[in-house]
Amino acid sequence: MIELKNIEKYYANKGVKSYILRHVSTIIKQGEFVSIMGPSGAGKSTLLNILGMLEEPTYGAYEFMGEDVVSLNERKRIELYRNHIGFVFQAYHLIDEMTVAENIEAPLLYKKVSSAERKSRVADVLDRFNMVAKKDLFPNQLSGGQQQLVGIARALVAQPSIILADEPTGNLQSPQALQIMELFKKLNEEENITIIQVTHSEVNAAYGSRILHLLDGVIKEDIAVPQGV
Amino acid sequence: MFRLNLKIALRNLWKNKGYTLINVGGLAIGLASCMILLLYVAYEWSFDKHTSGYDRTYVVYNHQKSEDRIVSFSWTPGVMAEELRTKIPGIARVSRSTYPAEHLISYNHQNFKKKAMFTDTAFLKVFDYKVLQGNRDQMLKHPNSVVLTERMAKILFGNENPINKTVKMGGKEELIVEGVIEDVPVTSSLQFDYLGSWEMFLKENPWAKGNERDWGNNYCLTVLQLQDNDFSERVNAEINGVYKRNLKESRNFASIHPLSKWHLYDKFENGKSVGGKIDTLRIFLLLAFCILLIACINFMNLSTARSEKRAKEVGVRKAIGAARKSLVGQFMLESILLACFGMVVAFMLMELSLTYFNGVLNTNLAINYRDWTFWSALIGLTLFTGLVAGSYPAFYLSSFNPVKVLKGFNLPGNSSLSIRKVLVVFQFVFAVCLIICTVVIYQQLNFIKNKPVGYNRAGLVEIPVEGKLQRDGKMKLLREQLLKSGAVINASVFSRSLSQGGNNTSGVSWPGKNPKEDVLINFRYTYYDFVATLGTKMMMGREFSPKYTDSSNVIINESAVKVMNLSNPVGTVITWGGNPMTIIGVLKDFVMETPYQTVTPMIMMVNPTADGEGVLVMRLNPSQSIGTSMQQITGLVKEMNPDFPVEATFLSDSFEAKFQNEKVLGILANWFGGFSIFISCLGLLGLSLFMAEQRKKEISIRKVLGASMMNILTLLNKDFIKLVAVANLIAFPLAYILINKWLSAFEFRVSISFIPFAIAIGLSLLIAFLTVSAQSVKVAKSNPIDALKYE
Repeated sequence: MIELKNIEKYYANKGVKSYILRHVSTIIKQGEFVSIMGPSGAGKSTLLNILGMLEEPTYGAYEFMGEDVVSLNERKRIELYRNHIGFVFQAYHLIDEMTVAENIEAPLLYKKVSSAERKSRVADVLDRFNMVAKKDLFPNQLSGGQQQLVGIARALVAQPSIILADEPTGNLQSPQALQIMELFKKLNEEENITIIQVTHSEVNAAYGSRILHLLDGVIKEDIAVPQGV
Repeated sequence: MFRLNLKIALRNLWKNKGYTLINVGGLAIGLASCMILLLYVAYEWSFDKHTSGYDRTYVVYNHQKSEDRIVSFSWTPGVMAEELRTKIPGIARVSRSTYPAEHLISYNHQNFKKKAMFTDTAFLKVFDYKVLQGNRDQMLKHPNSVVLTERMAKILFGNENPINKTVKMGGKEELIVEGVIEDVPVTSSLQFDYLGSWEMFLKENPWAKGNERDWGNNYCLTVLQLQDNDFSERVNAEINGVYKRNLKESRNFASIHPLSKWHLYDKFENGKSVGGKIDTLRIFLLLAFCILLIACINFMNLSTARSEKRAKEVGVRKAIGAARKSLVGQFMLESILLACFGMVVAFMLMELSLTYFNGVLNTNLAINYRDWTFWSALIGLTLFTGLVAGSYPAFYLSSFNPVKVLKGFNLPGNSSLSIRKVLVVFQFVFAVCLIICTVVIYQQLNFIKNKPVGYNRAGLVEIPVEGKLQRDGKMKLLREQLLKSGAVINASVFSRSLSQGGNNTSGVSWPGKNPKEDVLINFRYTYYDFVATLGTKMMMGREFSPKYTDSSNVIINESAVKVMNLSNPVGTVITWGGNPMTIIGVLKDFVMETPYQTVTPMIMMVNPTADGEGVLVMRLNPSQSIGTSMQQITGLVKEMNPDFPVEATFLSDSFEAKFQNEKVLGILANWFGGFSIFISCLGLLGLSLFMAEQRKKEISIRKVLGASMMNILTLLNKDFIKLVAVANLIAFPLAYILINKWLSAFEFRVSISFIPFAIAIGLSLLIAFLTVSAQSVKVAKSNPIDALKYE
């Protein structure tokens, strides 16, 4: 599904190149649950952003579902990630002016989904996440865990094939964090959604099927997680 | 999508009420100012465009060459119309008429002085006013016919049918009402209440009858309608030599001027149209759009200043799949929404202020709600404002890189701040220019007003000599009665109003005159005691007196002495129309026509019987109240001349009226200058709000490190004061050029001093300082811990 070949990312500052990523090559298949780990400044978030097409690599090839992302124009790229990628952020990043239901509905608007279909899909997701009662609340009326649930619901409503999560539990307390990870695992197993998450936590990483260890922009380790933990 | 965006935009506006208020207020004032100015421009623009053939209608202009210049006016000989009709092809209709002037009209012993024009049958075909009663083709054929406007018919006859009723004109001629036409709109250059026949004019003015085939006398207005506008150039070429063809020695030439340009392009130089009122109109148009632009800039400034708050939203939207286009659309929607709110408020402001402006401008501007052009202009203006105001923020905000803004928003670089700075500077340049111009306009107005007119205006009243007063020594009698009553202390007669020009001649010659030179000299007839009545003085010699026989003596004014170049005027013999006349005195110059130009030379002769046309000039008795004096005067005049209403004019009022144009300009510049400063300050307020937010942490740290309140205020205000100072520097040369150009049109003008500039810089700095300080004081006083503990 995803193939990275020799991805490099650096910033040139006064003639000095400071590398964020070097020679990153990997293949991620449909249905994998990958955790990217590593110390601060290792380039985890940058790698995730490149995967999510929010940033461009300085060099290297990126194929997403058989298409060369680097050579795509902006319109096509937006098209691609509208249809296939859902984002979950550490700070939730819900739009404060929108209610829960509207936040969830937003990606569908950009996908030009018809009104009736939007209604039913939003209702469906709300139902699944047990948030029907909260649908008319604004984000600042919710707890952090609930906000992140809305964030995940928003990522899911467009029925993506992959979810990219940048430290999804970083701002949460551990019971809520566990709940979110359980949800990811369920989505991964039951709906075969590919999940790539950046995390600091070994516990969280253990929910996944594979761990990429980054250090100073280079993949140091690529290990499969023994299942059944 | 649209509905959701709308909902979010509304929520956003509601959440930031203060910001919305500033924005809507600024936009509303900008829009209201713009629309009032546009209404005024449209009003002036619509002049003389109400008849169906207006675009084919032309006014004949007469250009008189003298030694140094060409004087142009739309007065022509009476024979002009016939000449054009018979000799120049391409002309469909020609009409000649007198200019509207007040004539007494009465019915059933009710007397009214209303404006009349005497004209021919073609007039109502060129100006095709709707005929409410009567037959257009027959109108004004009969010498004793009269056509009334609807309003005039109402005044005279109420609800009776006016057709075939007899009215009296000037107290003697009986006229039969032949028809009623619709009222003349206020936007017509020719304002009349009724039309009389040309024959009646000739009967009333025997001199005109004698001169009917004469090309030397200009006393009527000639308008013509072409068959087709293609003919205009040919007709113009043909008409050019019409004077020379008919009068060998004439150096005059004629031209046609479109009726639609008569009002706005009324200034001629060297026989060519060089604009006129249109220049003022252009200034207003520019002003309208600049004010709107300032309001738009305000909006841009405030929206981009708030970008930190919006950045996250942009990032999220982009991350969940929004294309830039849809974000641009969303921000545009918000700004158009604000513009709509602004328009609603602008409406209220307009409706509230129109009465005031109508009073000042002497117009009757009104919003015509049934006019589609109004609505389209309104919608167009709102959309335009929304788009202009929203354009920069929309593209700026939507350009954020989602990764960066989501990671935590850093100051969007120095670039955007500098654009905001440029915008603020622009606003203040405009505001400062307006302050300077306003001050200079007022200085000029005061300068001209306080320039000595040559006589004492206060307590000087004139009454037109009409009807019975013109005959049989009645005037003399009235004068004596008035003096005896104690209402006036001096009184005299003058053959024209003291505030009017006209009645001039080039037929005066004097020793040493260059025979080729044409010099126009005003001539007036006067009565005894003129100098004391006016409160002026003789520079040399004496004035007319009953003790002497002055029938072949004249008094001239100082300008005349200068023009005639006489070293010893008193005793010099000059001739007028071949009659020798001895100068017995030199009168101090006084202003009659316009205070903006040097006084025209004048000769005065005595009218010992005091009969004939003119005005009775009176100096009111200062020891009794004006009311009492006026009452006595009205009573006495009414008794002598019962047919005419008494119309007394205070010279100070008629003098004031000469400044109408400059006054309007001054008042408008004042108001709109004030508005633009106000809007600019709103912008500054928004910017300082933003700045205060942005630098909260920095200031807290400085405070912790021991900075005093004063230090912090200086720090915060410095940047803004710098901007305003820069704006002043840019505005100074700009304003200087502008106002110099405006002033150069005046013969007498103030020199541009440093005062307006000092006022502008002082005022703008003070206002800016106060605005910014309102914010910075709050920040400077806040507890540093509040800002720091969240870090």
